[in-house]
Amino acid sequence: MSEPEAPPLLPVTDDHDTGPLFEAAARGELVVRVCACGEVSHLPTSYCRRCGSSEGTWRPVSGRATLLSWTTVTHQLHPAFPTPYTIVLVSLEEHPQVHMFGQLAGTPDLTADQPMEVWFQQLAEDVAIPQWRPAG
Amino acid sequence: MFRKVQRQGPAAGRVAGVSAELYDHRDRCAIVGIGATEFSKDSGRSTLTLAVEASLEAIGDAGLVPIDIDGIVRCDMDDVRTSDLIHTLGLDNISYLGENGPGGVAPAAMVGQAVAAILSGQATAVLVYRSLNGRSGRRYGAASQASDAPRVGGNGTYDEYWLPYGLQTPGQCFALMARRHMIDFGTTPDQLGRIPIACRNRANANPAAQMHGRPMGLDDYLGARMISDPLRLFDFCLETDGANALVVTTAERARDLPRPPALIRAVAQASLPDVQPGNFYSVLMRESLTTLPAAPVGRLLFERAGLGPDDIDVAQLYDCFSITVLLQLEDYGFCAKGEGGSFVADGSIELDGSIPINTAGGHLSEGYIHGMNHIVEGVRQIRGTSTNQVPGAETCLVTSTALPPGSALILRGDG
Repeated sequence: MSEPEAPPLLPVTDDHDTGPLFEAAARGELVVRVCACGEVSHLPTSYCRRCGSSEGTWRPVSGRATLLSWTTVTHQLHPAFPTPYTIVLVSLEEHPQVHMFGQLAGTPDLTADQPMEVWFQQLAEDVAIPQWRPAG
Repeated sequence: MFRKVQRQGPAAGRVAGVSAELYDHRDRCAIVGIGATEFSKDSGRSTLTLAVEASLEAIGDAGLVPIDIDGIVRCDMDDVRTSDLIHTLGLDNISYLGENGPGGVAPAAMVGQAVAAILSGQATAVLVYRSLNGRSGRRYGAASQASDAPRVGGNGTYDEYWLPYGLQTPGQCFALMARRHMIDFGTTPDQLGRIPIACRNRANANPAAQMHGRPMGLDDYLGARMISDPLRLFDFCLETDGANALVVTTAERARDLPRPPALIRAVAQASLPDVQPGNFYSVLMRESLTTLPAAPVGRLLFERAGLGPDDIDVAQLYDCFSITVLLQLEDYGFCAKGEGGSFVADGSIELDGSIPINTAGGHLSEGYIHGMNHIVEGVRQIRGTSTNQVPGAETCLVTSTALPPGSALILRGDG
Protein backbone atom coordinates (compact mmCIF):
# COMPACT_ATOMS: atom_id res chain seq x y z
CA MET A 1 0.00 0.00 0.00
CA SER A 2 1.35 3.39 -0.99
CA GLU A 3 1.04 6.74 0.71
CA PRO A 4 -1.97 8.92 -0.12
CA GLU A 5 -1.33 11.40 -2.91
CA ALA A 6 -3.89 13.83 -1.60
CA PRO A 7 -4.93 15.16 1.79
CA PRO A 8 -7.74 13.32 3.60
CA LEU A 9 -11.29 14.01 2.55
CA LEU A 10 -12.67 16.09 5.39
CA PRO A 11 -16.36 15.91 6.30
CA VAL A 12 -18.54 18.91 6.94
CA THR A 13 -18.70 18.94 10.73
CA ASP A 14 -21.20 21.73 11.43
CA ASP A 15 -24.29 20.56 9.59
CA HIS A 16 -27.51 21.22 11.53
CA ASP A 17 -28.57 17.58 11.50
CA THR A 18 -25.23 15.74 11.73
CA GLY A 19 -22.74 18.13 13.35
CA PRO A 20 -23.03 16.68 16.88
CA LEU A 21 -21.63 13.33 15.68
CA PHE A 22 -18.38 15.07 14.75
CA GLU A 23 -18.35 17.31 17.84
CA ALA A 24 -18.52 14.14 19.93
CA ALA A 25 -15.88 12.37 17.84
CA ALA A 26 -13.51 15.29 18.46
CA ARG A 27 -13.77 14.59 22.21
CA GLY A 28 -13.47 10.83 21.71
CA GLU A 29 -17.09 9.89 22.14
CA LEU A 30 -19.53 8.02 19.90
CA VAL A 31 -23.09 9.36 20.02
CA VAL A 32 -26.40 8.66 18.30
CA ARG A 33 -29.47 10.89 18.11
CA VAL A 34 -32.33 9.65 20.29
CA CYS A 35 -35.78 11.22 20.49
CA ALA A 36 -37.70 11.70 23.76
CA CYS A 37 -40.03 8.97 22.48
CA GLY A 38 -37.11 6.53 22.32
CA GLU A 39 -36.75 6.45 18.53
CA VAL A 40 -33.11 6.29 17.43
CA SER A 41 -32.68 8.54 14.42
CA HIS A 42 -29.99 7.34 12.02
CA LEU A 43 -29.24 8.73 9.58
CA PRO A 44 -30.13 11.57 11.93
CA THR A 45 -32.93 14.00 11.22
CA SER A 46 -33.98 16.76 13.62
CA TYR A 47 -37.65 15.92 13.15
CA CYS A 48 -38.62 12.55 14.64
CA ARG A 49 -40.50 10.52 12.04
CA ARG A 50 -42.10 8.45 14.77
CA CYS A 51 -43.62 11.08 17.08
CA GLY A 52 -43.11 14.41 15.34
CA SER A 53 -40.95 15.93 18.05
CA SER A 54 -37.82 17.92 17.32
CA GLU A 55 -36.55 17.58 20.88
CA GLY A 56 -34.04 14.78 20.36
CA THR A 57 -30.72 14.54 22.15
CA TRP A 58 -27.39 12.93 21.27
CA ARG A 59 -26.48 10.12 23.65
CA PRO A 60 -23.23 8.20 24.08
CA VAL A 61 -23.11 4.54 23.12
CA SER A 62 -20.54 1.89 23.98
CA GLY A 63 -18.66 1.86 20.69
CA ARG A 64 -19.11 -1.89 20.35
CA ALA A 65 -20.51 -3.26 17.11
CA THR A 66 -20.58 -6.28 14.82
CA LEU A 67 -19.30 -6.54 11.26
CA LEU A 68 -22.12 -6.62 8.70
CA SER A 69 -20.12 -6.51 5.50
CA TRP A 70 -16.86 -5.36 3.95
CA THR A 71 -15.19 -4.84 0.59
CA THR A 72 -11.53 -4.52 -0.25
CA VAL A 73 -11.09 -1.87 -2.90
CA THR A 74 -8.36 -2.74 -5.40
CA HIS A 75 -9.24 -0.38 -8.24
CA GLN A 76 -7.57 2.96 -7.60
CA LEU A 77 -9.89 5.97 -7.97
CA HIS A 78 -9.46 8.72 -5.40
CA PRO A 79 -5.91 9.94 -4.65
CA ALA A 80 -6.73 10.29 -0.94
CA PHE A 81 -7.42 6.55 -0.77
CA PRO A 82 -4.54 4.44 -2.12
CA THR A 83 -5.51 0.84 -2.79
CA PRO A 84 -5.85 -1.68 -1.39
CA TYR A 85 -8.04 -0.55 1.45
CA THR A 86 -11.08 -2.12 3.04
CA ILE A 87 -14.44 -0.47 3.74
CA VAL A 88 -16.30 -1.99 6.67
CA LEU A 89 -19.99 -1.66 7.53
CA VAL A 90 -20.91 -2.27 11.16
CA SER A 91 -24.07 -2.56 13.23
CA LEU A 92 -24.04 -1.00 16.72
CA GLU A 93 -24.43 -3.34 19.68
CA GLU A 94 -27.12 -1.28 21.47
CA HIS A 95 -28.95 -0.23 18.32
CA PRO A 96 -28.42 -2.85 15.59
CA GLN A 97 -30.43 -0.78 13.12
CA VAL A 98 -27.70 1.87 13.28
CA HIS A 99 -25.13 1.14 10.58
CA MET A 100 -21.81 2.98 10.26
CA PHE A 101 -18.87 2.82 7.88
CA GLY A 102 -15.19 2.56 8.66
CA GLN A 103 -11.97 1.96 6.80
CA LEU A 104 -9.14 -0.50 7.44
CA ALA A 105 -5.78 -0.45 5.71
CA GLY A 106 -4.89 -3.17 3.24
CA THR A 107 -6.58 -6.55 3.08
CA PRO A 108 -7.36 -7.58 6.66
CA ASP A 109 -8.62 -11.01 7.60
CA LEU A 110 -12.27 -10.49 8.54
CA THR A 111 -15.18 -12.73 9.51
CA ALA A 112 -18.89 -12.02 9.20
CA ASP A 113 -20.51 -10.71 12.37
CA GLN A 114 -17.21 -10.48 14.27
CA PRO A 115 -17.01 -7.93 17.14
CA MET A 116 -15.76 -4.49 16.18
CA GLU A 117 -14.80 -1.47 18.27
CA VAL A 118 -14.77 2.24 17.61
CA TRP A 119 -11.70 4.47 17.58
CA PHE A 120 -11.38 8.07 16.54
CA GLN A 121 -9.22 9.17 13.67
CA GLN A 122 -7.96 12.75 13.75
CA LEU A 123 -8.10 13.81 10.09
CA ALA A 124 -7.16 17.43 10.75
CA GLU A 125 -6.57 19.63 13.76
CA ASP A 126 -10.29 20.26 14.18
CA VAL A 127 -11.74 17.17 12.50
CA ALA A 128 -12.12 13.66 13.91
CA ILE A 129 -14.28 10.81 12.61
CA PRO A 130 -15.40 7.55 14.18
CA GLN A 131 -13.52 4.57 12.77
CA TRP A 132 -13.97 0.83 13.31
CA ARG A 133 -11.49 -2.02 13.83
CA PRO A 134 -11.72 -5.62 15.00
CA ALA A 135 -12.25 -5.66 18.78
CA GLY A 136 -8.99 -6.40 20.54
CA MET B 1 -41.72 23.10 16.47
CA PHE B 2 -43.79 20.86 14.24
CA ARG B 3 -47.29 19.64 14.78
CA LYS B 4 -47.24 16.19 16.30
CA VAL B 5 -48.35 13.46 13.98
CA GLN B 6 -50.14 10.29 14.93
CA ARG B 7 -48.29 7.37 13.52
CA GLN B 8 -47.48 3.85 14.60
CA GLY B 9 -43.93 4.04 13.38
CA PRO B 10 -42.36 3.51 10.00
CA ALA B 11 -43.79 0.04 9.58
CA ALA B 12 -47.23 1.61 9.32
CA GLY B 13 -46.30 2.98 5.90
CA ARG B 14 -48.33 1.38 3.15
CA VAL B 15 -46.59 -0.83 0.68
CA ALA B 16 -48.39 -1.39 -2.56
CA GLY B 17 -51.32 0.25 -0.82
CA VAL B 18 -52.62 2.01 -3.91
CA SER B 19 -55.43 -0.14 -5.19
CA ALA B 20 -55.23 -1.33 -8.77
CA GLU B 21 -58.88 -0.37 -9.20
CA LEU B 22 -58.10 3.24 -8.30
CA TYR B 23 -55.64 3.63 -11.17
CA ASP B 24 -57.24 2.36 -14.32
CA HIS B 25 -54.45 2.39 -16.88
CA ARG B 26 -54.17 -1.29 -17.79
CA ASP B 27 -53.41 -1.67 -21.52
CA ARG B 28 -54.72 1.83 -22.23
CA CYS B 29 -51.43 3.20 -23.61
CA ALA B 30 -48.68 1.73 -25.75
CA ILE B 31 -45.11 2.31 -26.84
CA VAL B 32 -45.35 2.83 -30.59
CA GLY B 33 -41.90 4.05 -31.52
CA ILE B 34 -38.34 3.25 -30.44
CA GLY B 35 -35.02 4.83 -31.32
CA ALA B 36 -31.39 4.06 -30.60
CA THR B 37 -28.08 5.55 -31.63
CA GLU B 38 -24.89 3.58 -31.96
CA PHE B 39 -23.49 2.61 -28.54
CA SER B 40 -19.79 3.44 -28.27
CA LYS B 41 -16.98 4.59 -26.01
CA ASP B 42 -16.63 7.91 -27.79
CA SER B 43 -19.54 9.21 -29.83
CA GLY B 44 -17.68 12.32 -30.95
CA ARG B 45 -21.01 14.11 -30.73
CA SER B 46 -22.90 16.13 -28.13
CA THR B 47 -25.55 14.53 -25.97
CA LEU B 48 -28.07 16.82 -27.69
CA THR B 49 -27.08 15.46 -31.11
CA LEU B 50 -27.45 11.90 -29.79
CA ALA B 51 -30.86 12.70 -28.28
CA VAL B 52 -32.02 14.25 -31.55
CA GLU B 53 -30.99 11.17 -33.55
CA ALA B 54 -32.70 8.72 -31.18
CA SER B 55 -35.83 10.90 -30.95
CA LEU B 56 -36.20 11.32 -34.70
CA GLU B 57 -35.82 7.57 -35.14
CA ALA B 58 -38.47 6.89 -32.46
CA ILE B 59 -40.91 9.44 -33.90
CA GLY B 60 -40.40 8.09 -37.41
CA ASP B 61 -40.71 4.50 -36.20
CA ALA B 62 -44.08 5.48 -34.72
CA GLY B 63 -45.24 6.79 -38.10
CA LEU B 64 -45.42 10.33 -36.71
CA VAL B 65 -43.67 13.64 -37.35
CA PRO B 66 -42.19 15.91 -34.68
CA ILE B 67 -45.14 18.28 -34.66
CA ASP B 68 -47.36 15.36 -33.53
CA ILE B 69 -45.42 15.17 -30.24
CA ASP B 70 -47.17 17.17 -27.50
CA GLY B 71 -45.50 15.77 -24.39
CA ILE B 72 -41.89 15.20 -23.36
CA VAL B 73 -40.30 13.49 -20.33
CA ARG B 74 -36.68 13.85 -19.19
CA CYS B 75 -34.47 11.96 -16.72
CA ASP B 76 -33.21 14.28 -13.99
CA MET B 77 -29.58 13.36 -14.70
CA ASP B 78 -29.78 13.97 -18.46
CA ASP B 79 -27.49 16.70 -19.76
CA VAL B 80 -30.12 17.45 -22.40
CA ARG B 81 -32.84 19.77 -21.12
CA THR B 82 -36.35 19.40 -22.48
CA SER B 83 -36.12 22.87 -23.99
CA ASP B 84 -32.95 21.85 -25.88
CA LEU B 85 -34.83 19.05 -27.59
CA ILE B 86 -38.07 21.00 -28.06
CA HIS B 87 -36.12 23.75 -29.79
CA THR B 88 -33.96 21.53 -31.94
CA LEU B 89 -36.70 19.15 -33.08
CA GLY B 90 -39.24 21.91 -33.53
CA LEU B 91 -41.71 20.38 -31.08
CA ASP B 92 -43.97 23.42 -31.20
CA ASN B 93 -47.08 21.77 -29.75
CA ILE B 94 -45.75 20.74 -26.34
CA SER B 95 -48.38 20.88 -23.60
CA TYR B 96 -46.81 18.51 -21.04
CA LEU B 97 -43.27 18.40 -19.62
CA GLY B 98 -42.25 15.79 -17.06
CA GLU B 99 -39.13 14.69 -15.23
CA ASN B 100 -38.23 11.73 -13.07
CA GLY B 101 -35.30 10.20 -11.24
CA PRO B 102 -32.88 9.85 -9.68
CA GLY B 103 -30.97 8.55 -12.66
CA GLY B 104 -31.51 4.88 -13.37
CA VAL B 105 -34.72 4.79 -11.38
CA ALA B 106 -36.27 6.99 -14.05
CA PRO B 107 -37.00 5.10 -17.29
CA ALA B 108 -40.10 3.08 -16.35
CA ALA B 109 -41.28 5.96 -14.18
CA MET B 110 -40.83 8.30 -17.16
CA VAL B 111 -43.09 6.06 -19.22
CA GLY B 112 -45.47 6.13 -16.25
CA GLN B 113 -45.52 9.90 -16.42
CA ALA B 114 -46.24 9.75 -20.14
CA VAL B 115 -49.16 7.40 -19.45
CA ALA B 116 -50.48 9.68 -16.71
CA ALA B 117 -50.20 12.72 -18.97
CA ILE B 118 -52.09 10.96 -21.75
CA LEU B 119 -54.83 9.50 -19.54
CA SER B 120 -55.38 12.84 -17.84
CA GLY B 121 -55.76 14.61 -21.17
CA GLN B 122 -52.61 16.70 -20.91
CA ALA B 123 -50.95 15.15 -23.97
CA THR B 124 -51.66 12.64 -26.73
CA ALA B 125 -48.19 11.56 -27.92
CA VAL B 126 -45.25 11.74 -25.52
CA LEU B 127 -41.53 11.56 -26.28
CA VAL B 128 -39.37 9.89 -23.61
CA TYR B 129 -35.59 10.17 -24.05
CA ARG B 130 -32.24 9.44 -22.41
CA SER B 131 -28.90 10.58 -23.76
CA LEU B 132 -25.43 10.43 -22.30
CA ASN B 133 -21.76 10.46 -23.15
CA GLY B 134 -21.20 8.06 -20.29
CA ARG B 135 -17.65 7.12 -21.29
CA SER B 136 -16.19 10.12 -23.10
CA GLY B 137 -18.04 12.67 -20.96
CA ARG B 138 -19.46 12.39 -17.46
CA ARG B 139 -18.50 8.98 -15.98
CA TYR B 140 -20.75 7.75 -13.20
CA GLY B 141 -18.13 5.32 -11.86
CA ALA B 142 -15.64 8.10 -11.11
CA ALA B 143 -14.85 8.93 -7.50
CA SER B 144 -17.50 11.10 -5.95
CA GLN B 145 -15.33 14.04 -5.00
CA ALA B 146 -12.27 15.64 -6.54
CA SER B 147 -9.19 15.58 -4.32
CA ASP B 148 -8.91 19.34 -3.99
CA ALA B 149 -12.55 19.77 -3.06
CA PRO B 150 -13.60 21.57 0.10
CA ARG B 151 -15.22 19.51 2.83
CA VAL B 152 -17.69 16.84 1.79
CA GLY B 153 -21.26 16.37 2.92
CA GLY B 154 -23.78 18.41 4.80
CA ASN B 155 -26.92 20.07 3.56
CA GLY B 156 -28.95 16.88 3.46
CA THR B 157 -26.50 14.83 1.41
CA TYR B 158 -25.19 12.86 4.41
CA ASP B 159 -22.04 12.36 2.30
CA GLU B 160 -20.05 13.05 5.47
CA TYR B 161 -21.08 9.55 6.61
CA TRP B 162 -19.34 7.68 3.78
CA LEU B 163 -17.10 9.71 1.47
CA PRO B 164 -14.37 10.28 4.13
CA TYR B 165 -14.11 6.48 4.48
CA GLY B 166 -13.31 5.94 0.82
CA LEU B 167 -16.79 4.70 -0.05
CA GLN B 168 -16.82 6.56 -3.31
CA THR B 169 -18.56 4.60 -6.05
CA PRO B 170 -21.76 2.63 -6.66
CA GLY B 171 -19.69 -0.49 -7.30
CA GLN B 172 -18.27 -0.41 -3.78
CA CYS B 173 -21.79 0.00 -2.42
CA PHE B 174 -23.10 -3.02 -4.33
CA ALA B 175 -20.01 -5.01 -3.33
CA LEU B 176 -21.07 -4.61 0.31
CA MET B 177 -24.53 -5.95 -0.61
CA ALA B 178 -23.03 -8.86 -2.55
CA ARG B 179 -20.79 -9.79 0.39
CA ARG B 180 -23.75 -9.89 2.77
CA HIS B 181 -25.74 -12.01 0.30
CA MET B 182 -22.82 -14.46 0.24
CA ILE B 183 -22.67 -14.45 4.06
CA ASP B 184 -26.39 -14.97 4.58
CA PHE B 185 -27.17 -17.35 1.73
CA GLY B 186 -23.91 -18.96 0.64
CA THR B 187 -24.01 -17.36 -2.79
CA THR B 188 -20.76 -18.03 -4.67
CA PRO B 189 -18.73 -16.12 -7.26
CA ASP B 190 -19.39 -18.96 -9.74
CA GLN B 191 -23.13 -18.37 -9.33
CA LEU B 192 -22.88 -14.60 -9.56
CA GLY B 193 -20.83 -14.97 -12.73
CA ARG B 194 -23.69 -16.66 -14.52
CA ILE B 195 -25.41 -13.28 -14.80
CA PRO B 196 -22.72 -11.38 -16.73
CA ILE B 197 -22.08 -14.52 -18.80
CA ALA B 198 -25.77 -14.75 -19.78
CA CYS B 199 -25.75 -11.06 -20.72
CA ARG B 200 -22.56 -11.54 -22.73
CA ASN B 201 -24.05 -14.51 -24.56
CA ARG B 202 -27.02 -12.36 -25.56
CA ALA B 203 -24.71 -9.52 -26.66
CA ASN B 204 -22.83 -11.90 -28.91
CA ALA B 205 -26.01 -12.40 -30.92
CA ASN B 206 -26.72 -8.66 -31.00
CA PRO B 207 -24.46 -6.84 -33.49
CA ALA B 208 -25.39 -3.48 -31.93
CA ALA B 209 -24.07 -4.47 -28.50
CA GLN B 210 -20.80 -2.94 -27.34
CA MET B 211 -19.46 -6.36 -26.30
CA HIS B 212 -20.56 -8.13 -29.48
CA GLY B 213 -17.84 -10.45 -30.72
CA ARG B 214 -16.23 -10.86 -27.31
CA PRO B 215 -17.30 -14.25 -25.94
CA MET B 216 -16.83 -14.79 -22.20
CA GLY B 217 -16.82 -17.98 -20.17
CA LEU B 218 -16.62 -18.65 -16.44
CA ASP B 219 -12.80 -18.75 -16.48
CA ASP B 220 -12.71 -15.34 -18.18
CA TYR B 221 -15.12 -13.99 -15.58
CA LEU B 222 -13.28 -15.41 -12.56
CA GLY B 223 -9.89 -14.52 -13.98
CA ALA B 224 -10.70 -10.86 -14.52
CA ARG B 225 -9.27 -8.41 -12.02
CA MET B 226 -11.02 -7.71 -8.78
CA ILE B 227 -12.36 -4.15 -8.52
CA SER B 228 -14.01 -4.11 -5.10
CA ASP B 229 -14.30 -7.65 -3.78
CA PRO B 230 -16.34 -9.77 -4.21
CA LEU B 231 -17.13 -7.85 -7.42
CA ARG B 232 -14.83 -8.35 -10.40
CA LEU B 233 -14.48 -6.36 -13.62
CA PHE B 234 -17.36 -8.06 -15.42
CA ASP B 235 -19.75 -7.64 -12.49
CA PHE B 236 -19.69 -3.96 -13.44
CA CYS B 237 -21.79 -2.50 -16.24
CA LEU B 238 -20.36 -0.77 -19.27
CA GLU B 239 -19.87 2.94 -19.75
CA THR B 240 -21.56 4.09 -22.92
CA ASP B 241 -21.98 7.06 -25.19
CA GLY B 242 -25.44 6.81 -26.74
CA ALA B 243 -29.11 7.63 -26.59
CA ASN B 244 -32.51 5.98 -26.67
CA ALA B 245 -35.99 7.39 -27.17
CA LEU B 246 -39.58 6.16 -27.03
CA VAL B 247 -42.97 7.44 -28.16
CA VAL B 248 -46.02 6.69 -26.01
CA THR B 249 -49.63 7.20 -27.11
CA THR B 250 -53.07 5.69 -26.52
CA ALA B 251 -53.68 2.03 -27.33
CA GLU B 252 -56.53 3.12 -29.59
CA ARG B 253 -54.32 5.37 -31.68
CA ALA B 254 -51.52 2.81 -31.58
CA ARG B 255 -53.66 0.39 -33.59
CA ASP B 256 -53.68 2.86 -36.50
CA LEU B 257 -49.88 3.24 -36.53
CA PRO B 258 -47.43 1.14 -38.53
CA ARG B 259 -45.78 -0.96 -35.81
CA PRO B 260 -47.45 -3.58 -33.64
CA PRO B 261 -48.18 -1.79 -30.35
CA ALA B 262 -46.35 -2.76 -27.17
CA LEU B 263 -49.21 -2.23 -24.74
CA ILE B 264 -48.25 -0.90 -21.34
CA ARG B 265 -50.01 -3.47 -19.21
CA ALA B 266 -49.06 -1.66 -16.02
CA VAL B 267 -46.44 0.67 -14.64
CA ALA B 268 -45.51 1.39 -11.04
CA GLN B 269 -43.09 3.30 -8.93
CA ALA B 270 -42.70 2.97 -5.20
CA SER B 271 -40.53 3.91 -2.31
CA LEU B 272 -40.25 1.64 0.71
CA PRO B 273 -40.34 1.87 4.50
CA ASP B 274 -37.09 2.97 6.11
CA VAL B 275 -35.96 4.43 2.80
CA GLN B 276 -33.37 6.73 4.49
CA PRO B 277 -32.47 10.29 3.54
CA GLY B 278 -29.29 11.30 1.74
CA ASN B 279 -27.40 10.38 -1.39
CA PHE B 280 -27.25 6.87 -2.85
CA TYR B 281 -25.05 5.16 -0.22
CA SER B 282 -27.71 5.61 2.46
CA VAL B 283 -29.25 2.45 0.99
CA LEU B 284 -26.73 0.64 3.21
CA MET B 285 -28.20 2.32 6.30
CA ARG B 286 -31.39 0.28 5.82
CA GLU B 287 -31.87 -2.77 8.00
CA SER B 288 -31.65 -5.23 5.09
CA LEU B 289 -28.65 -5.14 2.79
CA THR B 290 -30.08 -7.80 0.49
CA THR B 291 -33.39 -6.34 -0.64
CA LEU B 292 -33.97 -3.50 -3.06
CA PRO B 293 -37.05 -1.32 -3.59
CA ALA B 294 -37.83 -3.87 -6.28
CA ALA B 295 -39.86 -5.70 -3.62
CA PRO B 296 -42.56 -3.02 -3.11
CA VAL B 297 -42.40 -1.96 -6.77
CA GLY B 298 -43.00 -5.57 -7.80
CA ARG B 299 -45.96 -6.02 -5.47
CA LEU B 300 -47.64 -2.86 -6.75
CA LEU B 301 -46.80 -3.57 -10.37
CA PHE B 302 -48.13 -7.13 -10.35
CA GLU B 303 -51.27 -6.00 -8.51
CA ARG B 304 -51.92 -3.28 -11.07
CA ALA B 305 -51.22 -5.66 -13.94
CA GLY B 306 -53.33 -8.50 -12.56
CA LEU B 307 -50.34 -10.71 -13.29
CA GLY B 308 -47.61 -12.49 -11.34
CA PRO B 309 -44.03 -13.57 -11.95
CA ASP B 310 -45.22 -16.79 -13.59
CA ASP B 311 -47.00 -14.76 -16.27
CA ILE B 312 -43.81 -13.02 -17.41
CA ASP B 313 -42.22 -14.50 -20.55
CA VAL B 314 -39.03 -12.41 -20.65
CA ALA B 315 -37.49 -9.72 -18.44
CA GLN B 316 -35.13 -6.82 -18.90
CA LEU B 317 -33.69 -6.35 -15.40
CA TYR B 318 -31.73 -3.24 -14.51
CA ASP B 319 -28.15 -4.45 -14.28
CA CYS B 320 -25.78 -1.74 -13.16
CA PHE B 321 -24.05 -4.70 -11.44
CA SER B 322 -24.50 -8.47 -11.53
CA ILE B 323 -25.67 -8.52 -7.91
CA THR B 324 -28.44 -6.05 -8.78
CA VAL B 325 -29.97 -8.67 -11.05
CA LEU B 326 -29.66 -11.41 -8.44
CA LEU B 327 -31.47 -9.31 -5.83
CA GLN B 328 -34.23 -8.38 -8.27
CA LEU B 329 -34.85 -12.00 -9.30
CA GLU B 330 -35.63 -12.61 -5.63
CA ASP B 331 -37.50 -9.37 -4.97
CA TYR B 332 -39.77 -9.78 -8.01
CA GLY B 333 -40.58 -13.31 -6.93
CA PHE B 334 -38.93 -15.33 -9.70
CA CYS B 335 -37.26 -17.27 -6.90
CA ALA B 336 -37.26 -17.17 -3.10
CA LYS B 337 -35.07 -14.75 -1.14
CA GLY B 338 -31.62 -16.26 -0.85
CA GLU B 339 -32.08 -18.68 -3.74
CA GLY B 340 -30.93 -16.32 -6.49
CA GLY B 341 -27.52 -17.97 -6.73
CA SER B 342 -28.75 -21.48 -7.40
CA PHE B 343 -31.56 -20.08 -9.58
CA VAL B 344 -29.15 -18.46 -12.04
CA ALA B 345 -26.73 -21.39 -11.84
CA ASP B 346 -29.55 -23.68 -13.01
CA GLY B 347 -29.77 -21.76 -16.28
CA SER B 348 -33.08 -20.10 -15.46
CA ILE B 349 -32.07 -16.76 -16.98
CA GLU B 350 -30.80 -18.22 -20.26
CA LEU B 351 -32.86 -18.00 -23.45
CA ASP B 352 -34.39 -21.43 -22.86
CA GLY B 353 -34.77 -20.91 -19.12
CA SER B 354 -37.86 -20.04 -17.11
CA ILE B 355 -37.16 -16.30 -17.26
CA PRO B 356 -34.73 -15.19 -19.99
CA ILE B 357 -33.23 -11.81 -19.12
CA ASN B 358 -31.54 -8.86 -20.79
CA THR B 359 -31.93 -10.22 -24.27
CA ALA B 360 -29.96 -7.42 -25.96
CA GLY B 361 -27.08 -7.89 -23.50
CA GLY B 362 -28.20 -5.45 -20.82
CA HIS B 363 -26.05 -2.86 -19.16
CA LEU B 364 -23.43 -5.52 -18.57
CA SER B 365 -22.85 -6.19 -22.28
CA GLU B 366 -25.14 -4.20 -24.63
CA GLY B 367 -24.61 -0.68 -23.33
CA TYR B 368 -25.47 1.58 -20.45
CA ILE B 369 -28.23 4.03 -21.31
CA HIS B 370 -29.24 4.17 -17.68
CA GLY B 371 -32.17 1.75 -17.98
CA MET B 372 -33.69 3.15 -21.18
CA ASN B 373 -32.17 0.52 -23.49
CA HIS B 374 -33.99 -2.10 -21.41
CA ILE B 375 -37.35 -0.60 -22.38
CA VAL B 376 -36.35 -0.44 -26.05
CA GLU B 377 -35.40 -4.14 -25.94
CA GLY B 378 -38.67 -4.92 -24.16
CA VAL B 379 -40.56 -3.39 -27.07
CA ARG B 380 -38.50 -5.44 -29.53
CA GLN B 381 -39.47 -8.62 -27.68
CA ILE B 382 -43.15 -7.73 -27.91
CA ARG B 383 -42.78 -6.92 -31.62
CA GLY B 384 -40.86 -10.16 -32.21
CA THR B 385 -37.80 -8.34 -33.55
CA SER B 386 -35.15 -9.00 -30.89
CA THR B 387 -31.85 -10.51 -32.00
CA ASN B 388 -32.47 -12.98 -29.13
CA GLN B 389 -36.20 -13.37 -29.64
CA VAL B 390 -37.96 -15.46 -27.02
CA PRO B 391 -40.40 -17.53 -29.08
CA GLY B 392 -43.98 -16.49 -28.49
CA ALA B 393 -43.12 -13.82 -25.92
CA GLU B 394 -46.34 -12.04 -24.97
CA THR B 395 -45.26 -10.27 -21.77
CA CYS B 396 -42.06 -8.52 -20.82
CA LEU B 397 -41.10 -7.09 -17.43
CA VAL B 398 -38.77 -4.10 -17.56
CA THR B 399 -37.24 -2.73 -14.38
CA SER B 400 -35.54 0.55 -13.60
CA THR B 401 -34.90 -0.29 -10.03
CA ALA B 402 -31.48 -0.12 -8.53
CA LEU B 403 -31.84 2.01 -5.44
CA PRO B 404 -34.80 3.67 -3.71
CA PRO B 405 -37.23 4.67 -5.02
CA GLY B 406 -37.81 2.31 -7.91
CA SER B 407 -39.93 1.80 -10.99
CA ALA B 408 -40.90 -0.94 -13.41
CA LEU B 409 -43.41 -1.74 -16.13
CA ILE B 410 -44.90 -4.69 -17.94
CA LEU B 411 -45.33 -4.66 -21.72
CA ARG B 412 -47.58 -7.05 -23.61
CA GLY B 413 -48.60 -7.73 -27.15
CA ASP B 414 -51.96 -6.67 -28.54
CA GLY B 415 -53.08 -10.25 -29.09
